Amino acid sequence: MSETLLSVRDLRTQFFTREGVVHAVDGVSFDVHKGRTLGIVGESGCGKTVTALSIIRLLPTPPARIVGGQVLFQGRDLTTLPERELEDIRGSEIAMIFQDPMTSLNPTLTIGMQITETIRRHSKLSKRAARVRAIELLEEVGLPRAASRLDDYPHRLSGGMRQRVMIAIAISCDPALLIADEPTTALDVTVQAQVLDLLAEMRDAHDMAMIVITHDMGVVADIADEVIVMYAGQVVEQAPVLELFDRPEHPYTEALLGALPQIEDPGVRHRRLTAIPGRPPDLLDPPETCRFAARCKYAGGDACTQHMPELRELRPGHLVRSEHPASERAGTREKVAT
Amino acid sequence: MTTFVLRRLVWTVPVILLVILLTFLLMRQIEGNPFRTSERAIPESIQQNLEEKYGLDDPWYVQYLRYVKGVFTLDLGPSLVLRNRDVNDIVREHFPPSLELGALAMLFALVFGVPLGMLSALRANTFFDYGAMFVSNVGFAIPSFLVATLLIYFFALEWGDIFGLPTSGWDTWQSKVLPTIALGLGPMAYFARLTRGSMLETMQQDYIRTARAKGLRWRRVVVVHTLRNSLIPVVTAAGPILGFLITGSFIIEQIFAIPGIGRYYVTAVTGRDYSVVMGLTVLLALIVIVANLVVDILYGFLDPRTRDARA
Amino acid sequence: MARAPRAATSHADIPLEAAPVTAPLAGAPVRQTNLWKDAWYRYIRNRAAVVAGAVFVLLLLYCLIWPAVSPYDPNDVDFSQAREMPSLEHPFGTDTFGRDLFTRTALGGRISIGIGFAATLVILAIGVAYGSLSGFVGGRLDNGMMRFLDALYGLPYLPFAIITLAVIGDSGFWSLVIALSIASWLTTARIMRGQVMTLKQNDYVRAAHVVGARRHRVLMRHILPNTLGILVIAVFLELPGVILGEAFLSFIGLGIGPPDASWGSMAQEGYKVYRVFPLLIIIPSVAIATLILCANFIADGLRDALDPRTRET
Repeated sequence: MSETLLSVRDLRTQFFTREGVVHAVDGVSFDVHKGRTLGIVGESGCGKTVTALSIIRLLPTPPARIVGGQVLFQGRDLTTLPERELEDIRGSEIAMIFQDPMTSLNPTLTIGMQITETIRRHSKLSKRAARVRAIELLEEVGLPRAASRLDDYPHRLSGGMRQRVMIAIAISCDPALLIADEPTTALDVTVQAQVLDLLAEMRDAHDMAMIVITHDMGVVADIADEVIVMYAGQVVEQAPVLELFDRPEHPYTEALLGALPQIEDPGVRHRRLTAIPGRPPDLLDPPETCRFAARCKYAGGDACTQHMPELRELRPGHLVRSEHPASERAGTREKVAT
Repeated sequence: MTTFVLRRLVWTVPVILLVILLTFLLMRQIEGNPFRTSERAIPESIQQNLEEKYGLDDPWYVQYLRYVKGVFTLDLGPSLVLRNRDVNDIVREHFPPSLELGALAMLFALVFGVPLGMLSALRANTFFDYGAMFVSNVGFAIPSFLVATLLIYFFALEWGDIFGLPTSGWDTWQSKVLPTIALGLGPMAYFARLTRGSMLETMQQDYIRTARAKGLRWRRVVVVHTLRNSLIPVVTAAGPILGFLITGSFIIEQIFAIPGIGRYYVTAVTGRDYSVVMGLTVLLALIVIVANLVVDILYGFLDPRTRDARA
Repeated sequence: MARAPRAATSHADIPLEAAPVTAPLAGAPVRQTNLWKDAWYRYIRNRAAVVAGAVFVLLLLYCLIWPAVSPYDPNDVDFSQAREMPSLEHPFGTDTFGRDLFTRTALGGRISIGIGFAATLVILAIGVAYGSLSGFVGGRLDNGMMRFLDALYGLPYLPFAIITLAVIGDSGFWSLVIALSIASWLTTARIMRGQVMTLKQNDYVRAAHVVGARRHRVLMRHILPNTLGILVIAVFLELPGVILGEAFLSFIGLGIGPPDASWGSMAQEGYKVYRVFPLLIIIPSVAIATLILCANFIADGLRDALDPRTRET
């Protein structure tokens, strides 16, 4: 079991808007271990991106604020660290890449400049040495004709190439942790697979830990070691990846998996894709009872609608926040595998 | 980059020709007689002689071509009303003050307006921001003749002994202070608002978040990433504003008795001095075109995306 | 295609559609209303815009109604009352000729605001026609029209207006309207063109074409209604420029002259005596400034209200 690199404990982030307070992240906890990949999955608005941005405090602080919890990294709590020290950690210890490579790069600066400024910020390399390093990085991420790319502007590159540049920037200072927020969502399907492969390669080559945020279960299956499922600002299920796909417990996870088209299943042509009816609750005034109850087919007039279910450990390593996990439903008592 | 600049330069030629043509055609529509010095009608024969002397009896396209040739050889012709003066002389004498006034006002507007907008954006929604924006809005809305009048009233008359600023003229540096402020206050307010809005919008962009995620120091993020990109709309607006400042300073010139072309222009139009009006209009148009050209080129510097797009 | 019976899987024992619907829980999703109502609500929330709107309307009412009900005749000369400071009888004081300024300002407002709105409408008419034609047809026509527009940008605003006035010959209400609008329609045309081009790319326009709608119908029924928002904003953006233009022209004596009065000509009168009685130039100038300020805030408020792209999270 590798050491714990990052420990998020009961993180609460809120947005103070004109209409009221939005409880975007409401008590989220998880650990990330060295060299391992954590996948955070959930639908739009569940708080996964806000969680990631809260880790290195990239949220705009007038509306947003981390109101509770801790983010422990290398023995320090990032939520209370002075900004200047946090700036030292960003980019060099913890790096982040974002969803849309088109807008995530400054259109008026060359690629080379955007890479070298990161390198020179966190090291004492000269301009020329940084340039050489930049070329190495571009080659490492598989960008052809790296040297001439340095003087290109972002608009000259395709989406996939731009994401590669973002990855190059992210790994330039050998971070211990890479956070990837929907790294493939904005890309074509064929390019998605390439980028995911590249990420896995980088992780292995640099012994990085990774947090991959996505709404796509396929991405999770591809690259994650451990998964947490988020809904309405909370963690509703957490398990190793194979375990999650084999034996999902939370009704929401089941529904998410059920919504995936299964190519190999017999009768796949005749089955309808099951969608989850309804919408997530408004986080301006989130319910103090189970937040999935309104859309859950197992919710009854019992515990779910009276109090908030706790996140409990059903099996070693597998946590669920539900009163009706799959293995406890009437008639389907599962034998615990030993 | 050079092809970009050359392309832009080449384009100004047809624009100038078009402007001359339009002005020329417009001028011909104005009724009136430049040679009339009193209420009495001029004898027919004298009228004809004068017209012949100034070439006014030739067909319009001949006149037009002659004029175009004149423009490109920098000969704007003689004044029709002021018998001993050439338009060139008038320009040479009276244009520099207007140019200087416009340039100073522009400088004032930029030097005070852009930093004000920047600070407001960085301290958004604080008292400073609200105060600065309030002042900007008011400064933008008040007509320049009121600003000029109030400035004179207070700084030159009431408190004249403290400040030592004259109420008119354009010789000492003191005499240039009030007109510059009067003319430049509106644009300053405009630039402040524009810069603030542009910076706020830029700071929302994803690439600013990326810059922060890279751990860059906040100062660098602001200066290198945010400011550069926010200045683009400011530069775009600066061109027409510079043009406006130089060509639209009539009122300030009148109030402060500055010997610029503004006053000449109005008198020339009312006096039907066609050649002076033509000459000045073409000149003013040229200034606007040049200002826009400079802006276009600067824009190409700041935003590399436009260099690759077709002209 | 016949509906095959549901194959039983480990997950879908019970159809999800049969989920029980309970009473709305705390945190139920917010319902959406129609676009214009949304915009109205967003506008209302902007305090500055609301205040500006109210002041604007008040100003309009003042100019429209007061002269009709005022006890003073605006042209009534009475030298015994000349140059009075504001009082209960004369809220704005009197001018050099003893005329009540409160009434004259309202009257001047009629002309200034009248010219402002009229010129703005003409600007919109020309700008919309030119811009939407250019944007909609696209291609070489658009290229040519835009080049022409670029060339026209080279004409300086104020001198051009002055020349146009000279061409027209006189300087009454409509002459000013025409002169000012001819000099100012360029920006609106550009904005319209940009908007039309953006809308053209929208899928519902392509859908209309696919269904076989004729081009002008597409233009009228699909594209133009969606430009309504921009046009309303454009009104309040152009208004200040035109009003200021009229004020400038009247101030240098080329605009409205006696017996009519506009705020600009009143300012000119006031300027002549500013050393002894500055009130005379301050009042019409403040009126102009107030109008411009209100128009700016209203335009800002409208822009925020009609452009639902505010990022909250």
